[in-house]
Amino acid sequence: MVRYFTRLRVRRIYKWGGRPYIFDRKLKSYVTTVTPGQYILIEGNDDEYPFVAKLLKLFGDESHKQKKALVQWFLRLSEVPQNKKLLLGRSPHPQEIFYYLGRACDDEINAESILGTVHVRQDNSPASVVPELRNSVCFPCFLIQVTPSTPRCATPCIPSRTVPARQPGNILEEARARLHVSSVPESLPCREQEFQDIYNFVESKVMDGTGGCMYISGVPGTGKTATIHEVIRCLQHASDMDEIPTFRFIEINGMKMTDPHQAYVQILQKLTDQKVTADHAAALLEKRFSNPAPKKETTVLLVDELDLLWTRKQNVMYNLFDWPTRRHARLVVLTIANTMDLPERIMINRVASRLGLTRMSFQPYSFKQLQQIITSRLNKVKAFEEDALQLVSRKVAALSGDARRCLDICRRATEICEHSASHPSSAGLVKMSHVMEALDEMFSSSYITAIRCASLQEQLFLRAVIAEFRRLGLEEATFQQVFVQHRTLSRVEGLQPISLSEGLAVCQRLGACRLLLLEASRLDMLQRVRLNVSQDDVLYALKPVRD
Amino acid sequence: MSKRKVKETHMPVGECISQVQMILRERFCHQRLPEKPVGMESQHKHLLELLRRTAVHGESNSVLIVGPRGSGKTMLLNCVLRELLEVKDVNKNVLPVHLNGLLQTDDRIALKEITRQLNLENVVGDKVFGSFAENLAFLLEALKKGDRSSSRPVLFILDEFDLFAHHKNQTLLYNLLDVSQSAQAPVAVIGLTCRLDVLELLEKRVKSRFSHRQIHLLSSLSFIQYLDNVRSQLSLPQDFPDTKFYDEWNDSIKTLCEDQLVVDVLQSHYNSSKDFRSLHLLLMLALSRVSASKPAIKPTDLLEASRVCMVDSKANILHGLSILELCLIIAMKHLNDIYEGEPFNFQMVHNEFKKFLQRKSHSIHNFDKPVVIKAFEHLQQLELIKSMDSSTAKIQKEYQLMKLLLDHSQIMEALQKYPQCPTDVKQWAMSAFG
Repeated sequence: MVRYFTRLRVRRIYKWGGRPYIFDRKLKSYVTTVTPGQYILIEGNDDEYPFVAKLLKLFGDESHKQKKALVQWFLRLSEVPQNKKLLLGRSPHPQEIFYYLGRACDDEINAESILGTVHVRQDNSPASVVPELRNSVCFPCFLIQVTPSTPRCATPCIPSRTVPARQPGNILEEARARLHVSSVPESLPCREQEFQDIYNFVESKVMDGTGGCMYISGVPGTGKTATIHEVIRCLQHASDMDEIPTFRFIEINGMKMTDPHQAYVQILQKLTDQKVTADHAAALLEKRFSNPAPKKETTVLLVDELDLLWTRKQNVMYNLFDWPTRRHARLVVLTIANTMDLPERIMINRVASRLGLTRMSFQPYSFKQLQQIITSRLNKVKAFEEDALQLVSRKVAALSGDARRCLDICRRATEICEHSASHPSSAGLVKMSHVMEALDEMFSSSYITAIRCASLQEQLFLRAVIAEFRRLGLEEATFQQVFVQHRTLSRVEGLQPISLSEGLAVCQRLGACRLLLLEASRLDMLQRVRLNVSQDDVLYALKPVRD
Repeated sequence: MSKRKVKETHMPVGECISQVQMILRERFCHQRLPEKPVGMESQHKHLLELLRRTAVHGESNSVLIVGPRGSGKTMLLNCVLRELLEVKDVNKNVLPVHLNGLLQTDDRIALKEITRQLNLENVVGDKVFGSFAENLAFLLEALKKGDRSSSRPVLFILDEFDLFAHHKNQTLLYNLLDVSQSAQAPVAVIGLTCRLDVLELLEKRVKSRFSHRQIHLLSSLSFIQYLDNVRSQLSLPQDFPDTKFYDEWNDSIKTLCEDQLVVDVLQSHYNSSKDFRSLHLLLMLALSRVSASKPAIKPTDLLEASRVCMVDSKANILHGLSILELCLIIAMKHLNDIYEGEPFNFQMVHNEFKKFLQRKSHSIHNFDKPVVIKAFEHLQQLELIKSMDSSTAKIQKEYQLMKLLLDHSQIMEALQKYPQCPTDVKQWAMSAFG
């Protein structure tokens, strides 16, 4: 397995000062001072092996804008030319460094290329290697760097690419990039009214300095989270322009938590950057929202997937809806869920009443709205034919009204169009045929094809199942009964009858695909068999195809 | 063994055979990837294009590969990955993460595995630090910080995808699919499953975030293509060192595949199942008969192999039973015939057996009741009979209701082949009154 390189990323802030800083517990950053006389590490080409030097003087240049440092360079073993190495007379230690008294490079460097301090030790007896705990450089011998044993300041990141991602080349690629669900536009079409309502609600709460709750519901893919993000963006802009007081925005998601009580931990972390246990976090938040504090800004909290925060005693939800009612809390809570009657169904009375009656329901998109969404996304990139777009919108609107589905189908249609063309750049517009193929692929259930592609014995077994159901007048039968029918049918077809174990294997294969629903296989031939497909579909699939 | 000759184009027969065995066993047992997957060109193209777009353009996608067991889903995916990673740019820029629903039975374990494979910063060596909640938050944070143009795309490959849908709240699936639909680090979520109804397992939120792309591997091979495939699977590759042996072997395989006996055997296998896994089992059994003294596959080898594959699983057990146990089974068979499959208990079987003894008045089979009970219990241990009620109610064991897990045909066939079966037992089996 390939090892991927990750590195502890350290943010470097340079400050010109006369006194050493103390370790700032709140900011949790290590600050080191660099004073003349210390040995320092300087940023070089190789991140693993920075240059080593001794700091002689720190000064600013004429305009006092650029800070510079005067240094005495040291050379690492790898930088020493071969002929000089032989002069040493002994085999050097790999971490040895040497004074550089030559004049080939500048002694003045930019102060901002200093990475940190390093400890240089003069040791005249190279044999004694004393491992030091911190960065320990021994002159003329040993440079030892210790990697941290447990990651305390691990920063989460995915490694970067070596080559940047390619930009879209032709029109279809451009259309695909715009139709991807993740490229959310600045302003969402067809949600103006909902945007306005939520904006007014939050704006009024922020300006009054009070708190409140709002419940937003709608089936998946109707733009709830996206609309709220847009509202917050506009409010941020307004607060930047000093039109409304400043506020903080925090977002939590019920699905992105392992446990409902983690909500407290996440809210506290986003508010104050503290990492504590769930109970402690609940207590701290309670204190924070109950006690008045001067110059407190409003907090806008978005709770996505609210139904997953349900617990038996419902105290997480209770607290989330109770805190805004406190006088000094200044908390606005916006909750999102899928069902309109969630408060009535799963919440106890006191929780539901604290949630309040400010509710909003996002309706599924109609076909005109879906069409408008796609055209506004494409925004003058002419990639689709008009009726192709109409077909997609109508089909998706009839089924679910889910915008994600619509965008994915359009993307797939562009791919089909690109593949069917002989040359990628001469693909032309996406036509009805491509769209219909995409719809076929993404909407069909493949049971019929699976039955058609099954082996002969499997098809015979399905026929036997139907025959047995007809004989019994029920919708289930044991394998033994079906097998009797199977034997009869194979005799009719003129095939060699198969053994019972082979019949069981055929049945298991059909059960694994879920064409049949089986009981546990330890029941052997007494397991009951049901059809997962309707009988008419099976008979239709088994009809011989007329050429 | 004979000495190695100097000329390199001719090897002794033993060497050739061992080479042949190695090459063919790699194909059948070690799942060696073929050069190009057979019969799935359009699916190959679709998947390759999809993953190439994720790797090169940073476009997030999700896809499900659906197909019956043994139809080549993992093989297709590995072929596509192999082809994808051959491109130099892609090789260093893509992070594959392999998960399996049977190994990572819980979201907690799955998260630790993802973090370990991505080698994020809370991993030291092989150990992942942090609780489940911390790991999830860390991973989501890492993915959120990425962006389309500068982060490495991550390919999440989820084997036995349907098992992930049984985890609590489907948290892992929701989060992975949510990342694939947001402007974060580019990911490709590839699920492999054999269930056709896998989308019904997904919750509505997860289903909405899934892009509903499905690649179906439903083989529509005709029998002729199946035969061709058998021939190519058994043939040696072009680069075999001994050309004379190569020609001889391939010719023999060609004539083998035209032999009527072999065609019948393969037809019955094809009728039973079209997938390649069972075919490989059959060919493996035939191949294991090839040795230096018999350096070719004969039609009888395939016939024998087919017999081994298709043998009834209970036949051998029945041949190992004692006469008393066999008599008990015949008694049960008669009971089934009379009472049409209703459950019986030991007393009923014993009575039927005693009726047979009285008719024949043979003392040879006359055993004491404890001995007969012991024989009955042995049959129960062999799972030839099964208790009907799973309750642990204390019924006396002679009166517990049982059912026979053997078919009429299985018993009769076993009796035909039972070594030295007494004739009166055989006659009793034919008819209850004989």
